[in-house]
Amino acid sequence: MLLSSAILEARSARVILSDLILAEEETQAALLEELAESGDQVIAEIYEAWRSGGVYTLSDDSGTRLLLFNEAQEWTLVATGEVVSLSEAEASAVEKERASRAVRKLMKSIVDTLGLKSVDERVRIDAALKLGLSQKPEYIEPLKARLETEPSKNVLKSIREALAISLLVNGEGDEVFGAVKELTSMKSIAARGFLEKLIRAEEKAGRLGSEVVAASSNALLVIEEHINMLEFFGSFFRGFSTGSVLLIVSFGLAITFGLMGIINMAHGEFVAIGGYVTFMVQTFFINTWGLSSSAFGWYFVVSLPLSFLVAAGIGLLLEKSIIRFLYRRPLESLLCTWGISMIMQQCFRLIFGAANVQVNNPTWLMGSLNFGGFNMSYTRLFIMFIALVVVIMTWLLLRKTNLGLHIRAVMQNRGMASSLGIPVARVNSMTFALGCGLAALGGSVLSQIGNVGPLMGQAYIVDSFMVVVIGSVGNLLGAGLSAMGIGLVDQLLQPSLGPVMGKITVFFVIILFLQWRPGGLFPSRSRSLDD
Amino acid sequence: MKKIFGNISKAVATGAIALTAVTSSVQAEETVKVGVLHSLSGTMAISETSLRDILLFTFDEINASGGVLGKMIEPVVADGASDWPVFAEKSEQLLAQDKVSAVFGCWTSVSRKFALPVFEKYNGLLFYPVQYEGEEESPNIIYTAEAVGQQAIPAVDYLLAEGYKKFYLIGTDYVYPQTTNIVLFEYLLSKGIPVENIGGGIRYEGDVAVSAGNYTPFGHTDFQQIVAEIKDFAASGDACVINTINGDANVPFFKEIASSGLTSDDCPIVSFSLSEDEFRGLPTKDLVGHLGCWTYFMSIESEANDTFKANFQKWLATKAPDAVQKEGRVTCSPMVLSYNGVYLWKAAVEKAGTFETSAVIKALEEGISFDGPGGTVTSQENHHVTKTVYIGETLENGQFEILEVMPDVYGEPWLKGTFK
Repeated sequence: MLLSSAILEARSARVILSDLILAEEETQAALLEELAESGDQVIAEIYEAWRSGGVYTLSDDSGTRLLLFNEAQEWTLVATGEVVSLSEAEASAVEKERASRAVRKLMKSIVDTLGLKSVDERVRIDAALKLGLSQKPEYIEPLKARLETEPSKNVLKSIREALAISLLVNGEGDEVFGAVKELTSMKSIAARGFLEKLIRAEEKAGRLGSEVVAASSNALLVIEEHINMLEFFGSFFRGFSTGSVLLIVSFGLAITFGLMGIINMAHGEFVAIGGYVTFMVQTFFINTWGLSSSAFGWYFVVSLPLSFLVAAGIGLLLEKSIIRFLYRRPLESLLCTWGISMIMQQCFRLIFGAANVQVNNPTWLMGSLNFGGFNMSYTRLFIMFIALVVVIMTWLLLRKTNLGLHIRAVMQNRGMASSLGIPVARVNSMTFALGCGLAALGGSVLSQIGNVGPLMGQAYIVDSFMVVVIGSVGNLLGAGLSAMGIGLVDQLLQPSLGPVMGKITVFFVIILFLQWRPGGLFPSRSRSLDD
Repeated sequence: MKKIFGNISKAVATGAIALTAVTSSVQAEETVKVGVLHSLSGTMAISETSLRDILLFTFDEINASGGVLGKMIEPVVADGASDWPVFAEKSEQLLAQDKVSAVFGCWTSVSRKFALPVFEKYNGLLFYPVQYEGEEESPNIIYTAEAVGQQAIPAVDYLLAEGYKKFYLIGTDYVYPQTTNIVLFEYLLSKGIPVENIGGGIRYEGDVAVSAGNYTPFGHTDFQQIVAEIKDFAASGDACVINTINGDANVPFFKEIASSGLTSDDCPIVSFSLSEDEFRGLPTKDLVGHLGCWTYFMSIESEANDTFKANFQKWLATKAPDAVQKEGRVTCSPMVLSYNGVYLWKAAVEKAGTFETSAVIKALEEGISFDGPGGTVTSQENHHVTKTVYIGETLENGQFEILEVMPDVYGEPWLKGTFK
């Protein structure tokens, strides 16, 4: 009896939410209040779907139904949670319901309070911090309550940080002092602004010499030091990541220009081929399986080898038809490949249009890894991984295979290699194709962090030549080291000089370096230098 | 005085000639030449080609309804080629050789600065349609563009009203972002935002903070450091980003933001260079929820806008020249400001009764209104235009959902040093 009346009084969160989504703006406030009381976990799930455009209405003869399209590709009724099957006609007649910014703002606090009880640890951490940073006194109770029951250490830390930040404003006497101490020991970056605010407030109140002010100033110093340390290590990570990008775009050139001695101005366009192949594979996957399907994520795995093969094929054709006539004429090869680069750019425009094309990241590359206070995005980690794989594979190819042996022999002395029975023409074609394929592989990876467009290659061509020249023409290890070096110098200079001055300084440093060592890092004898 | 009198008498004379011309010959064969000066090749072609298209559409629309003062508009299209000195050469060619009555064109501020002296020398008339930094008021240019007070300031007002307290300024390293940020910096200080709450690096002159902002080169690709900085800056939860990055450098920027885990709810980014037309080449998924501020959105629900959009699509399908891209076309603020410019010119010519430049400019200075797709626009004495400002949120489909409408915002180019 009691139970049933309770149910009558409090409507289920699903029903309230369903009403809320369909309600006019004026009535939404009351429904939000009702929702806040219910505290059901399902709210967060439905809200997330609503926010990101996964909630639809379907109006037919039987009235309006509110439906949610979930990750398992099923339609469920928002009001009850039951799975419904829609006919194709119905599925195409649904209309998207969007959450307005105003409602989202109000919903946020409800969802954040709920988030404290979520099963996902990351959601709990996020929720705790958001509640604390808002510094609203009404959140202190739920945070304290959670402190008692929370099993995870990481979440406990966030809750304590959140509580301490909130207490900076809402606490009394010793509580504030305790909070400052707590934040000092945590080296809380989020608390920085709030501590500064606290000091200003104390100054205004005329308590300049108080214990709290002294403790806060000390806390700020400790946090600042912590940030500087993170920045330093962060810059290293970012330096390696920038270096990996440089390496991956220039490795192909290290082969075509470095080993073979062709001043390949069309290198950038082969990078762009990689980007466009990725785009085409992505479009094919979207058309076949849809953007939100789980199969979509695999497009990138397919596009990596495919872009290598396509570009290698085109490179092979180019070598057979044009490049092979230019081996002993560097100036002509410069002009000729420049012309090829312009022809290829115009081809991209004709086929794909002058505007850039969109390449979406697969879901498994979204997000980032949080490691001891600084972020490493998955795309960046992936690029570093691919760069490493490319270096190792190329090294194995050159050192451990017959083809590699032939390549090295031809590069060192073409005449001698030829007279020893090595098929020089074929080795040349294969090497050039390999260089072009690697360039496209780089382009495919770059599509995840930048633009894909007709001028894509132009953005990287100067950097590529720079890397190869610094690392000594003809030395792959040198190319690797110089890419990492340039990346590190660039990222370490950027915080103090800014992107523009940073870049100028990097170029300046490179000029000085080449004055000092004109041959690059590892000057060596190769065919290109003998000629 | 003598000069003004001379101009007026000249205007009356030409008016009379035009009148006799109209009455004496029923033939509508007579034409008036106008110039279109945009980059149709080079890096800016992606954006500027859309403006040429909308101008050609507008001329056809006006010609179909009887032309201007009974004369058909004959467009003379010149290609600025994304090469700034070429804008000066082509301006000279349009004014001295083709003797056009008015020119519609330029996108980047630097191309306008190159064209400006030529227009002043030949007493030409240029309508400039793209959001710009202000601090300029040429007697021979009509700025239908958004001045800083019609885009950046309203956006900041909106963010302040939403409760954001920290502002990170980021932009491309050239005149528009630099100047806009000087004005914004002064404005933020005047609104009580302390210097330490403005991010991106403060620039000092002596001991006085004069501006802020983190500037990147054109086509910058590596935003790791900047995004890490923004993430630290936004850790307190009440920060937003004012983005004046130009062109496709926005793609790596927004991709880096998305993968860092910063969402539009944590830290919204308001961009001034991204409109519906730019979204055609951007992964809008990474931009959902971030803000835009313009004086027109394609999603405005009004009869004028519906008619405008329908007519443009019809023109694309039937009358557009072959060179114009037909599929997937959208409308955006710079396009509509070009469109408005042509109609303002038409109304001014009709009011003055002549195509003579000084008379047309005088008519515009006296104030002419036009009900455009983005609401009513009125020309002002200072050669700028009063119009309605909209703030919108990016949706997945590359459109904006309108969050706020600010009607009749006055166009004021001289804002530097006015906020104390």
